[in-house]
Amino acid sequence: MIAAFEEIRVHPSPSVVEKPRLAPVDTSAEQRSDHALMLAVREGELDALGELFERHHGPLFGFLVKHTGDRAAAEDIAQTVFQRMLKYRHTYRDEGCFTAWMYHLARRSAADHFRKGNATPQATDPADLNEHADDTPHAAHRAATNDDHALLQTALARLDCDDREILLLARFQELSFAEIAGILECSVGAAKVRAHRALRELRDIYFRLQNEPIP
Amino acid sequence: MNCAQARDTFSALLDTRTAATAHAEARAHLAGCPDCQREFSSLNQTLAALDAMPTPSPTPRLRQNFYAMLEEEKHSAASLRIAATREHRARRVSLWGWILSPIAAAALLGLGFFVGQRSIPAATPAPANDAVAMRQEIKTLQDQVSKMGQLVGYSLLQQQQRPANDRLRGVLTSATLENPNDQVLNNLIGALALDPSANIRLGALEALYPHAGQEVVRAGVLASLPREQNPLVQVSMIDFLAAARDREAVPVLEKLSTAAAADPSVRDAAKRALTQL
Ligand SMILES: [Zn+2]
Repeated sequence: MIAAFEEIRVHPSPSVVEKPRLAPVDTSAEQRSDHALMLAVREGELDALGELFERHHGPLFGFLVKHTGDRAAAEDIAQTVFQRMLKYRHTYRDEGCFTAWMYHLARRSAADHFRKGNATPQATDPADLNEHADDTPHAAHRAATNDDHALLQTALARLDCDDREILLLARFQELSFAEIAGILECSVGAAKVRAHRALRELRDIYFRLQNEPIP
Repeated sequence: MNCAQARDTFSALLDTRTAATAHAEARAHLAGCPDCQREFSSLNQTLAALDAMPTPSPTPRLRQNFYAMLEEEKHSAASLRIAATREHRARRVSLWGWILSPIAAAALLGLGFFVGQRSIPAATPAPANDAVAMRQEIKTLQDQVSKMGQLVGYSLLQQQQRPANDRLRGVLTSATLENPNDQVLNNLIGALALDPSANIRLGALEALYPHAGQEVVRAGVLASLPREQNPLVQVSMIDFLAAARDREAVPVLEKLSTAAAADPSVRDAAKRALTQL
């Protein structure tokens, strides 16, 4: 029985990356932390926001596409997020965490988007997602998995907006639950419970869709 | 343990950041309960499907729009005014750093020299360039230095004026010396504690490895650990202390192993090191 359980392998979250030890580091890279860069932006060194854009627009866009199911909307919202960073730069705090702040702004901007009449996110055509994927799978594999991606995107779209948000934040954005709790303005315990409840909800919808007869 | 209790641990078991930690009872229940196995496996499958979803990239339009917006903002009158005042302030801050950095270096070393006073004050995670926090920290450290009666000779006064490549060369040269004197070791520990570049801090740590047998070196690494912000350097420091079998590091490692603010890789490294000490 124990052997049977050990076959259940936990899929590593993509955010967990093996870090090299004492790796040779590019000596020219006097890398400033995200936080240091954002403080510099706040103090008027606006070019520092360019570096932050280069570091973060990819994951931010990924979050927004999965959240809205709409590539064009995700791009507009990402643009709004960086616009608001500039506009509200003086509100960035000394003890802040840049990533948490970015997703805080993203969440507000996405909420505005949904309020403007895009109440229900549409499922993006997964072929479209694949076409621009960072790591395009082999064509044959793509055909086999497209249906799964489409089903999951539909399931995500049917999920409650808050549930979808916390699930995507917890799974993809390299945020700790303490940071997620900060973004959602709730306790760490509540964030964990909500994330797990959202996963169960997604599982229910996803499995229901899988068993629905094909029209 | 019943099904409900076992299922309460599922979120921890499904999260690779927490899956490794025990939950022995839940695992035992899971091993013998087909219902819970089905529940666990369906959640796990959903996560796998979620992870497998392709992550699209934005069109070039996003970058174009962003930089256009940035340019526009830079040329707005308000921004120009702020940029001007910032230059003044930057000059003031760098002057402070100039005067205080060598004192801070000496004070950190001083911490290491105090026999029996090895507990480090709670880490205040402030970036090195946060002048206000730095000044406060330095003030408390200064008191310790004056008690010590001697300043250790690492002079960041000269160091910080040199470009990074130069500083790195200095660190690497020190590393090749067969019998480095105390001055060289002090310089390396000073670089580890205070150099703004993570590369140089890593280089200094590597250069210190052959001298891990010396009490002052271990004390210096231990004193630098709580103020280090870069996870890569933190993990390397922890590995250093574990390899040196420094029992003095236990309280600091215990604190790090549970620190919510620490990177998961740092917490794991601290836990691992604690089993080795
Ligand atoms: Zn059970």
